[in-house]
Amino acid sequence: MKEQENIPTGKVERATRFVSAGIKVGGNYVKHYTKKLLDPTLTKEDLHEDNAKDIYNTLSNLKGSALKVAQMLSMDRGMLPTAYVDRFSLSQYSAPPLSGPLVVNTFNKTLGKSPQQLYDHFDMHACNAASIGQVHKAVKDGKSLAVKIQYPGVASSVSSDLKIVKPFAIRLVGMKEVEMDKYFEEIESKLLEETDYKLEVSRSIELSESCSHIENLVFPKYYPELSSERIITMDWLEGKHLKEFVDSNPSQEVRNKIGQALWDFYHYQVHHLRKVHADPHPGNFLMRDDGTVGIFDFGCVKEIPEFFYENYFRLTNRDIYKDESKWKQIYTNLELIYPDDTEEDMEFFSRLFHKMVDLLTLPFTQEQFDFGDETYFKEIYAYTDYVSNLKEVRNSKVARGSRHSLYINRTYFGLYSILSDLKANVKTKFVPVVLQ
Amino acid sequence: MDKQQILETYKVYLLENGKIPTSVYSFCKLLNITESEFYGFYNSLEAIERDFWLQVFESSLTQLEQDPIYQNYSAREKLLAFYFVWIQKMRENRSYVLLKKDNLKLYEIAKNNVLDDFKNAFYKYVDTLIKQGVESREVKERKYISDKYKHGFWLQALFVLNYWVEDTSNNFEMTDAAIEKAVDLSFRLIGEHTMDSLIDFGKFLLTKK
Repeated sequence: MKEQENIPTGKVERATRFVSAGIKVGGNYVKHYTKKLLDPTLTKEDLHEDNAKDIYNTLSNLKGSALKVAQMLSMDRGMLPTAYVDRFSLSQYSAPPLSGPLVVNTFNKTLGKSPQQLYDHFDMHACNAASIGQVHKAVKDGKSLAVKIQYPGVASSVSSDLKIVKPFAIRLVGMKEVEMDKYFEEIESKLLEETDYKLEVSRSIELSESCSHIENLVFPKYYPELSSERIITMDWLEGKHLKEFVDSNPSQEVRNKIGQALWDFYHYQVHHLRKVHADPHPGNFLMRDDGTVGIFDFGCVKEIPEFFYENYFRLTNRDIYKDESKWKQIYTNLELIYPDDTEEDMEFFSRLFHKMVDLLTLPFTQEQFDFGDETYFKEIYAYTDYVSNLKEVRNSKVARGSRHSLYINRTYFGLYSILSDLKANVKTKFVPVVLQ
Repeated sequence: MDKQQILETYKVYLLENGKIPTSVYSFCKLLNITESEFYGFYNSLEAIERDFWLQVFESSLTQLEQDPIYQNYSAREKLLAFYFVWIQKMRENRSYVLLKKDNLKLYEIAKNNVLDDFKNAFYKYVDTLIKQGVESREVKERKYISDKYKHGFWLQALFVLNYWVEDTSNNFEMTDAAIEKAVDLSFRLIGEHTMDSLIDFGKFLLTKK
């Protein structure tokens, strides 16, 4: 891996990077159509592949929050052509690391000692990138450790990054700017939290302790004395990332075990702790052949407000649609429809959301759900595709959906897509506390 | 009494009074030594200031050289490490440096010679880095120009210093980023790059005829 010696921190410089990606993407279109003249069999997929590559390269140079946004985008498979998804998924595994002296400097600055003084062995070459940081392997007292180090200046560039990413994201997702505002606020506050490694350590310890009773989950031990606002030290976990794991052809039994463990993990957090590990991208899970799964990176934790929780999970109960005033109240509470909507808008969007909710809550209504069922996911993608192409949706000036739903939806979508890749068959039936 | 003590007393005096002692005589009274003893250490008050910069530089270098990791660094990494440690050391003296910041502007440095001792030591240090760089092929030797590299690095050091003086970010994080960028750029400039191929190509075309 080529080491990256600089992170572009100035707003202008970051903006220039995006511009250069824009130019490249434009160039790709030119290239595509010239190629197509010569070779009519060429498909749009090749073009998407080219574009995704250039955008990814740009984003991975920017590091920090831009990369984070790339990661978020990469999970909404329904929203992006598959080629974008494949490329963006790369950003979940690796980005070029920073120079050795800067790593040492971060240690000296925040812990007062060099890595060589703190650990028996410290690998100066980063083995992994963690979007706003990089991971090094270390050994202390015979134990293998993972040491996550944050890039300097990330926290101070979060806000300016988001401003730059915004028009880009709007184009990519096909959303109106006004619609994005409340979501961008939510993203900004979450990203700022994520740059606080001290908070992450205390949350990791808290959440992994409260989930330790769940079967087949493995949490690393965290070392607060070897952690600072820029550094986190935890146990090194063995295991494979999702894609690698699936490629190794695990048995159905093992897939189900891991799938069940993940489902139980999220279930317990959402319904009992009301706080959820809201970053279920595949890079945060390490799967092993014995059916256990290692979980780390609690940088992004979403606390679920009671009011939102009650309304959101009432949707899993199909009975609500028997009573119009009931579901309309819930939809209004969730900001899906507004009292001042026109009759047609109300009718139109209610129908859309009704169908959407039916689709997405399907696993909740069954005893057992097979996430390997591709027709289910194809139906979801097809429907989101259909919805996002509707003229009424594209022209809508109103933001629909509570800001809290952003990370909760994302969490479930991430979980579904991992379970789908695993082709796991999971016991899913539950009755939400609010409905009992 | 030794040089270190005199330097410390001088710094404290300056920090508390905001100006330099009126004369060597009055400063010696503070130190409780005779003037002639003083000249055994420094020949003027200004010499103390020159020594401050040299000492910060030398203690940074000593710290680096004790570090086994540093020995294995490439020339580029060595310079990066130097700047990081140097700025770290300077942090302990930030108030003093800020008092003197008007002296650190480029056009001022040409007029006074406060940084001269530091500059000469820095040149020597950078020369060894450049030599190492040439051996490891990080640095390309170019006729007439190679000798000037060290002047470039001196300007870079002054840039880093001034950037840090103005830096308002938490923990001076932006200075860290500035150092990475500046060093990266400089090593790109003195490494083998497009320009060399261009000149080589031009030469080839000219001599062919």
